[in-house]
Amino acid sequence: MFFHIILERNMQLHPRHFGRDLREKLVSKLMKDVEGTCSGRHGFVVAITGIENVGKGLIRDGTGFVTFPVKYQCVVFRPFKGEILEAVVTMVNKMGFFAEAGPVQIFVSNHLIPDDMEFQSGDMPNYTTSDGSFCIGTIKDDFLGVISDPGTTS
Amino acid sequence: MSKIVILGTEVQIIIAVYLIFRLKLSLSMSGEEEENAAELKIGDEFLKAKCLMNCEVSLILEHKYEQLQQMSEDPLNQVSQVFEKSLQYVKRFSRYKNPDAVRQVRELLSRQQLAEFELCVLGNLCPETVEEAIAMVPSIKSRGRGHDDEAIEKMLNDMSLIKKFE
Repeated sequence: MFFHIILERNMQLHPRHFGRDLREKLVSKLMKDVEGTCSGRHGFVVAITGIENVGKGLIRDGTGFVTFPVKYQCVVFRPFKGEILEAVVTMVNKMGFFAEAGPVQIFVSNHLIPDDMEFQSGDMPNYTTSDGSFCIGTIKDDFLGVISDPGTTS
Repeated sequence: MSKIVILGTEVQIIIAVYLIFRLKLSLSMSGEEEENAAELKIGDEFLKAKCLMNCEVSLILEHKYEQLQQMSEDPLNQVSQVFEKSLQYVKRFSRYKNPDAVRQVRELLSRQQLAEFELCVLGNLCPETVEEAIAMVPSIKSRGRGHDDEAIEKMLNDMSLIKKFE
């Protein structure tokens, strides 16, 4: 599920950026640092949508770097156990199938596929592993399974 | 067709056909024991947070993408893979394309005393029958908010009407 939440991060800024566009520098660095990252607690940070506030900077001893606490709004994608969502199948093999829902990869094992579906063997497509996080899914429950494409139905 | 066969022979076939599944996540990446979306156990932080339907995310991300496009010629280079994949995903799974319809659906669902998370699951999956809605959002029945079958059916009808006239 996608959420719109407020997160906080301490940003370190080099003294050479101090000047009129300090705030812009801070925001663009924040976007570079945070967008596309993933944590177990908040899930994937998809996009920053706004800056809530920038706190008072604190000069670090010895380096001259300044740390600003920045509060920002962002769109995150966080999958939950028991959540029902739609996904696109990317690969099928006899162990089950792989699917993708946005940034997250999902594996649905053979055991969690209803018994009236069976695997047709043939040339096995090989695959490369992803570095992102991973979920296990099931389609063995009421109203789960193949659906028509919501994009094409009118 | 009583027997559905998953084709596993060639990747090309699958990509061409674009099998789309509705599935349930049975193991989350964080491994927190307490988590269970069916019982609305998603942690306090997310329970209170603003939840977004796919169609809303699609509006937000497309707006952001347009902004990037104006700033540089090659916006695809600017965005992360997570952004790109999310944009593709929400574009594909948005039930409502028109911003007015999106707003109407949220208004309609927010009148129903639903939790944000439940609201968005319903908005994303657009169940057609009452049984389907209860299977998708089991917590709708369990919290004693007076959601009888008739009220749910009316809500689903209203949702499909918005879809029809968008």
